[in-house]
Amino acid sequence: MTTQTRSFTWLALLLLACGALADAQAPAAVTTKSAINIPFEAYTLPNGLNVVLSTDRTTPTVAVNIWYHVGSKNELPGRTGFAHLFEHVMFTGSGHVPYGVHDKLTEGVGGSNNGSTSNDITNYYETIPSNYLESALWIESDRMGFLLDTLDIAKLNAQREIVKNERRQRMDNQPYGRVFEILSNNIYPATHPYHWDVIGSMEDLSAASEEDVKNFFRLYYAPNNAFLTIVGDFDTAQAKAWVQNYFGDIPRGKPVPRPNVAPVTLQTPKRLTFEDQVQVPRLYVVWPTVGEKNDDRFALAVLGSILAGPRTAPLTKALVFDTQAAASVSADQNTNEDVGEFFVTITPRPDHSLTDLEAAADAVIQKMKADGPTLEQVQKATAGEELSFVRGLESNLGKAFQLANGAAIHADPGYFRTEYQKTLAVTPADVKRVANKYLTSGRVVLSVVPAGKADQASKPAESQSVK
Amino acid sequence: MNRRAFAVLCLLALSPQPSALTGPQALLAQGAAQALDRTKTPPVGKTPELRVPTWTKSTLANGAELIVSEKHDLPLVAFSITFLGGADQFEPAGRRGVAGLAAAMLSEGTKTRDGEALSNALQLLGTNVSATVGGESGSISFVATTSKFPATLDILADMMTNSTFPAPALERLRANRLVALQQAKAQPGAIAGRVFPRVLYGDSHPYGRSATEESIKAITRDEVVAFHQTFFKPGRAVVTVVGDITPAAVRPVVEKGLAAWTAGGTKPDFSYPPVPALKPATIYLIDKAGAAQSTFALGLPGPPRNTPDYYALQVMNTILGGMFQSRLNANIREEKGYSYGVSSQFNFGKGPGPFRAGGDIVSEKSDAGLTEFMKELRGILGARPVTAEELQIAKEALVQRLPGTFASVGAINGAVTGLWIQGLPDTYYQQYSKAISAVTADDVVRVAKKYIDLDHLAIVIVGDKANIEGPLKATGVAPIALLDIDGNLVK
Repeated sequence: MTTQTRSFTWLALLLLACGALADAQAPAAVTTKSAINIPFEAYTLPNGLNVVLSTDRTTPTVAVNIWYHVGSKNELPGRTGFAHLFEHVMFTGSGHVPYGVHDKLTEGVGGSNNGSTSNDITNYYETIPSNYLESALWIESDRMGFLLDTLDIAKLNAQREIVKNERRQRMDNQPYGRVFEILSNNIYPATHPYHWDVIGSMEDLSAASEEDVKNFFRLYYAPNNAFLTIVGDFDTAQAKAWVQNYFGDIPRGKPVPRPNVAPVTLQTPKRLTFEDQVQVPRLYVVWPTVGEKNDDRFALAVLGSILAGPRTAPLTKALVFDTQAAASVSADQNTNEDVGEFFVTITPRPDHSLTDLEAAADAVIQKMKADGPTLEQVQKATAGEELSFVRGLESNLGKAFQLANGAAIHADPGYFRTEYQKTLAVTPADVKRVANKYLTSGRVVLSVVPAGKADQASKPAESQSVK
Repeated sequence: MNRRAFAVLCLLALSPQPSALTGPQALLAQGAAQALDRTKTPPVGKTPELRVPTWTKSTLANGAELIVSEKHDLPLVAFSITFLGGADQFEPAGRRGVAGLAAAMLSEGTKTRDGEALSNALQLLGTNVSATVGGESGSISFVATTSKFPATLDILADMMTNSTFPAPALERLRANRLVALQQAKAQPGAIAGRVFPRVLYGDSHPYGRSATEESIKAITRDEVVAFHQTFFKPGRAVVTVVGDITPAAVRPVVEKGLAAWTAGGTKPDFSYPPVPALKPATIYLIDKAGAAQSTFALGLPGPPRNTPDYYALQVMNTILGGMFQSRLNANIREEKGYSYGVSSQFNFGKGPGPFRAGGDIVSEKSDAGLTEFMKELRGILGARPVTAEELQIAKEALVQRLPGTFASVGAINGAVTGLWIQGLPDTYYQQYSKAISAVTADDVVRVAKKYIDLDHLAIVIVGDKANIEGPLKATGVAPIALLDIDGNLVK
């Protein structure tokens, strides 16, 4: 899950961009698989800063994006939510850039800025008219090099309150808002780096000290742990000169420790009931799967597209159309750097029990495991990849995210090409294999029910209440 | 908070100035980084030229207008048919929701393809046709790769002109909408979103009405079919094609694809009943027991889009609550820490769309939050003069935002149809910068006074009554009326 600093609107953009995979230089009207491309140039400064540049003169704007390879999985129990709280602190001004200037030189000139934190990375970005590129690099380099010069406890406390409000708005005061936190807590063991949600607990947010902030910054916000991506309307030589000028003198930090992330499997099903401020119950069935570096994720993503979505998808057809026991159903592979989960989410129609819906969904999944999908089902699931990729090319920020993701997670900014090819290469046999390998009895079944209606859970007698 | 020094720096930032350390020479010079003076805001480059897309206009044989805008850098086409008028003009009273159901029914089958066949064909084309009807306009649209454009257009035309409206499909859609309405009863934002317009406009004005369980249950198949036959007509429509096509080549494709769509329909006149007389300022409190936050919506009916005050209102609202650093958010989120974000906007339409400020405030600061909202509203009415810097930033933000709004075929399509719906000239974007630049600080205060009437402000708050009613009353801002989640007065 990802948590944003400023508003929700960017989240949609981020998801769109990351789901999109194509080619600015491709001749119009000809899109072959080999034309799927984002032209780029990558290099590393002596201090370790990873730089990726990609010019696109279509629109006179530039996206500047810095990924720091640190997220909630780098936190320690008792200090959860820290990476995201820290992200907020990064917007409070730095040694030479007083608070407020950042917004004035981005949003105040028709651009925008935001940040996001996930389990794996923390992401900062600006979109600006192309004549403001230098000032954007000045701001980003100043907070990388000189954040601590102006940091004090008052700034930390102010952001702490805002983050607590973010938690209230997104989770505590939102129907089904605590689901992902509960699922993480129950899929991953207490000491596992993916056990806690990115937003963290209220208690831990209160506990973070100024010293915690400073230590975290010194270790993780060094150039050798950062990926700077610039995409849009700029001159490459000029941009390189500015990058050198503003980032070149920031000293390299210590080697960054990576948490040891053990793969997770559940031996037996975990059945949970959460009483929430909801009017309509909902069922979540979740299996631990694999992360970014395991190629099974491609077949798992295709499996999700095959199972649910369009009315012809077997889960949707069976539950929403044929029996009409559900108002909606979805199936998705969620992929983090080291781990992943496969989610099936079902919202019932009135008078249909979660128990019956779970059984109906299991019957469809069982058939998929036994028969596998048809070739046409796989083709339909991946037919939209080309359009999705080419549409992603319309956004400088979307391209920046793709290049950064490749650079940070796969040590290859051009990984988008591999990703595209591997998605299109998925076969019916691959899908059948991953369905059998991962969609086993070792899963979490979470029923979210209205307060006081624990009997509406799926198999309530076997289900354990969670707070 | 470090809010003292930035004003000076920022003014410097907004005016281009020379620098000794830019350009490729800085890279070559040894030790250039050491010589860098980070206290100086870097110079701003030359403002890029505004490149507004161009388009051609013509009329199809059936009377629909055709607008074509070329963009050839990527093999993409954004196609839409946009209809003037929407639910506010074409839905019968007591049948809110029929427009949305009619749009959804387009995917449920045609004379030659059932719902599954339509879905299969679109999946294999890798795209989707979406149909929506809003308050004052509707559209059927898709984005496709250039090679898939004609085939997708054929499916769209089939959906629009040959729909069969199978009765079982209507019952399924109806049941799912009832579930969505039920779920919304637990969402504070959704509750405020329904009650706020009802408080402002009442039940007699279309702006005050939204779909309810009763209206959804009452809709018949005949009414859905009647809506379809009345609404999706070329006489009130514009067809827009944006992307990797040319006007000469695309026109015959469109004429052929839409051959079965026969002439008919006229543009609505958008006459609305009068807005009910304004009531004295009131806090309308809706109880949500145990809520961690209170959801605020404060406002009034505003002017229509064609008001001559449009540009001054845009600048005024940008200063008040249209940006992250606008007064409301800078105070209530950043300085006070009461919220994750607050904002304000005018919802401009053909009629008197609302002005609305609001956001989610932590429960125990509901009273203090209300006090700060009122303070900022009084501020923009004159208590806190608009500074030259605020005015400049608001104008720069509005004008320099334009290039980004033409970045994709979908965005250009939206910009072009937006002008068409509002009846604005083709040269609108070229004139925009001039119109914004002409706004003065006096204009800002003038339009604030004209449209933000604090004596008649409606303040809708969804929150934990047991904990916030007393403190809200103690603010003395306005008397409290209790409403239920549908906006009915609680005795």
